[in-house]
Amino acid sequence: MEKDTQNILQELEASDYKYGFVTDIETETIGRGLNEDVIRLISEKKGEPEWMLESRLKAYRHWLTLEHPNWAHLDIPEIDFQDVIYYAAPKQKKQLNSMDEVDPELKRTFDKLGIPLEEQMALAGVAVDAVMDSVSVKTTFRDTLAEKGIIFCSISEAIKEHPELIKRYLGSVVPYTDNFYAALNAAVFSDGSFCYIPKGVRCPMELSTYFRINAEGTGQFERTLIVADEGSYVSYLEGCTAPRRDENQLHAAVVEIVVEKDADVKYSTVQNWYPGDKEGKGGIYNFVTKRGLCREGAHLSWTQVETGSAITWKYPSCVLLGDNSSGEFYSVAMTNNYQQADTGTKMIHIGKNTRSRIVSKGISAGKSQNAYRGLVRVAKGADNARNYSQCDSLLIGDKCGAHTFPVIDSYNPSAVLEHEATTSKISEEQLFYCNQRGLSTEDAVGLIVNGYAREVLAKLPMEFAVEAQKLLAISLEGSVG
Amino acid sequence: MLKVENLHAKVGDKEILKGINLEVKAGEVHAIMGPNGSGKSTLASVLAGNEKFTVTEGKVEFEGENLLDLPIEERSRKGLFLGFQYPVEIPGVSMANFMKIAVNEQRKYRGLEPLTAAEYLKMMKEKSAIVELDSKLTSRAVNEGFSGGEKKKNEIFQMAMLDPKLAILDETDSGLDIDALRIVATGVTRLKREDNATVVITHYQRLLDYIVPDYVHVLYKGRIIYTGDKTLALKLEKEGYDWLINDYKEE
Amino acid sequence: MTERIIEAFAASPIPAGCCTESGRWVLRAEADTDITIAEGAAVELLIVDGAKAVNIDIDVRKGATLRIVEVVAQHSATQLSIAIANNGECSLTQVVTSPSDVRVAASLVEEGASFKHNGCFILVGEEQGSVTVDVNHMAAECISHTAVKGVAADKAHGSFSGLVYVAPGAQHTDSVQSSRNVTIGEARIETLPQLEIYADDVKCSHGATVGQMDSEAILYMRQRGLSTAQAKRLQIEGFVQDVAMHSAIESLAEELMTLINAKLNSL
Repeated sequence: MEKDTQNILQELEASDYKYGFVTDIETETIGRGLNEDVIRLISEKKGEPEWMLESRLKAYRHWLTLEHPNWAHLDIPEIDFQDVIYYAAPKQKKQLNSMDEVDPELKRTFDKLGIPLEEQMALAGVAVDAVMDSVSVKTTFRDTLAEKGIIFCSISEAIKEHPELIKRYLGSVVPYTDNFYAALNAAVFSDGSFCYIPKGVRCPMELSTYFRINAEGTGQFERTLIVADEGSYVSYLEGCTAPRRDENQLHAAVVEIVVEKDADVKYSTVQNWYPGDKEGKGGIYNFVTKRGLCREGAHLSWTQVETGSAITWKYPSCVLLGDNSSGEFYSVAMTNNYQQADTGTKMIHIGKNTRSRIVSKGISAGKSQNAYRGLVRVAKGADNARNYSQCDSLLIGDKCGAHTFPVIDSYNPSAVLEHEATTSKISEEQLFYCNQRGLSTEDAVGLIVNGYAREVLAKLPMEFAVEAQKLLAISLEGSVG
Repeated sequence: MLKVENLHAKVGDKEILKGINLEVKAGEVHAIMGPNGSGKSTLASVLAGNEKFTVTEGKVEFEGENLLDLPIEERSRKGLFLGFQYPVEIPGVSMANFMKIAVNEQRKYRGLEPLTAAEYLKMMKEKSAIVELDSKLTSRAVNEGFSGGEKKKNEIFQMAMLDPKLAILDETDSGLDIDALRIVATGVTRLKREDNATVVITHYQRLLDYIVPDYVHVLYKGRIIYTGDKTLALKLEKEGYDWLINDYKEE
Repeated sequence: MTERIIEAFAASPIPAGCCTESGRWVLRAEADTDITIAEGAAVELLIVDGAKAVNIDIDVRKGATLRIVEVVAQHSATQLSIAIANNGECSLTQVVTSPSDVRVAASLVEEGASFKHNGCFILVGEEQGSVTVDVNHMAAECISHTAVKGVAADKAHGSFSGLVYVAPGAQHTDSVQSSRNVTIGEARIETLPQLEIYADDVKCSHGATVGQMDSEAILYMRQRGLSTAQAKRLQIEGFVQDVAMHSAIESLAEELMTLINAKLNSL
């Protein structure tokens, strides 16, 4: 623990965005703008079958009929969708057989991020599907996984190699008609991960994907599909870091999770994309649709630590369709400077005896705005549904905002739903106490914030939890005067 | 009146009562003592019919009838009263209205006409005097905002209203100052008759100065390990439970 | 029923426009009305909603105390806007027994103002109704407490929407907002307890529950011989009667209970 604290202190000394560097790899892009030809081009470059192209075009045509959503507590500058580059891939045509073949520059990028793609991964028990911009570059440990019948590959590969699974599941949880950004993503998604855990299989290691936006001005449209077949288990980690940019970058990912009967999925995210500078210039626009569908007895747990992006719009949700299924959402969302976050979850109770739990911890500092938005709905037939929600806000400084917008909607008299929210600040007494014991105010705030977020951080896999702790401290820099 | 044979009960997977044997006859006062966590409150809850506990083995007869087959309210109407250790607060439900329904349900069960408003008010007045319960409290919501002492007095007031055959008082003395203890204990003694019985669960001898028991039982790890007369309580007060527990361990 | 309450309260109609001095007043909400409570005055006001959509604006001046009971027994859509000045106090009890669209907006515009609000709505059959409560903390050192209870039975649809807004600079705000609801049968309840906060040194909390009835209380009542159905009924009665028991105007508590009971009897 002492060592962790030491690390955090060191990190705090580096005052700029740690991961703000650009990797010098040749990138192949297509021109700015979006039309049917661009979609055809994306599909062609990826060597997709005709049915996939059709599905993209259908989504695109639907997208054209939609308007940009404006219900969130966000101040979103007008986005010119014709000024975005919809496809960028590192120029690496040939298939890689070993680590040695990976571009050394790319390897160094991952090293700088502190993600060893090499032997350490085996020791850590993590298989990584590293997504550099939009195309999967390297997937490790696929053999180990293959032995158990687990498929873990890029979605592009899956479209080619497992069309039956893709046809069955892609868009089954988040259809292209779902919302503006889901439609856009379905039309132009470049790559992402696909994961299938067969019946009764417990995935022996944590599956992990590091997304990274690299090419300047490139929209990132990731698509992730996880299918946990009956009785299986998987823990999936998604981590994001992005280099600094002056231009705003658009990100609109879709994550779909199918949790079949009695299966169990744990999905953890640490999101620390470039939040923009102290004046609110630059930073990623992050519009994400994440949703899981739980069949009978299934369990899905979302954990997220959100510290990055200029704008975050994200509501990982659970549709509790099957009887006795359960969903969880644990979130820490931190905003500083001019960041804006509107994040939360939806728990849709449809099956009988369904359970859900929401723990959300918002931290606002600087001039940022941080909102929790949630929906708990209990359908008519969802007898004995239970939900407990706790949404806390911590404010640091008097120029920021903390908001809570929950909706509880019950159609069933046997439902028991409970929502609690509190707002607090770091007290003078707490700071004085820490100062008296020799801690600087900044360290003290870091410690107190980590304590405040502990309940959520504890849900993360160990190595992720340490990184998340550091991130919270780094993101707080300059917030205490 | 009450006959408990080899009673086993659990909550979740945890067995708490492991073979209780106890017989209470009309006119008797029994005290049940024992260290914390020995199962005293569980015994009271199981006899009252709290569905949180599952009876896994054994028999309980009350007035010659199988008690375990009856839901909690029927046990009450038959004349079994439980004085709660922590009486629950019920906001918005006035004490007077609540007791009126309870009294009349019992009367209905016994084939009697419901009380008229005047009869009921008279009864309330009489019975609240027994425990010196401030008549203002009966117009307030059940237990809401009552002090610890008032809650316990309120329990004995309700006991007086329902006139049970068997009253089980679960740590009615806990959290009471000496005056409240005297009032509560005197109230219980005044309700004592030849045709009813009382089981007192307590940690302390001091309550038994007022409510003199015919038998004192020691409950330990879900069993009654020793039974004596009122002098046993005095001995326990002085020497603690160690001598008994040690004996028990050697068995 | 509401005529009886007005009769029991025996007050004169409140004068609109000019400054209202201490005393006891009644207002039939039939038309838009502006009311000003004079500095330091202590006023009790009974508002009885008519079947109309009207705006009632109330200014609570410095140091004044205003106690309001609002009875909504007819299908109405009243908007009550209350602005509370320096050290002014307003307490409000709302009893809604009709399918109405009831709105309250309280603004704590100067330091030391306080707003205490409790209320209930009961909807049966196919009734639809909503209660909206917006509390705006515009100044520092203000207090607001809001507690609204909802009961919806049969195929009714009830909704509560609450917003506590804390403006920049409204430090030391102390705000509690609670929404507690029970549904019976196929009824639907929707609740949106919202917070929007722009000041850091504040104590704001809110809580919302649907269907959360105390099972310990049921057990307790059954031990005293009540059937489960009786215990549940009594609990729901108690759940809403609690609002009447803590009426902003104490002398109206009995009348409000009678009104609530009459509605509950149609369950």
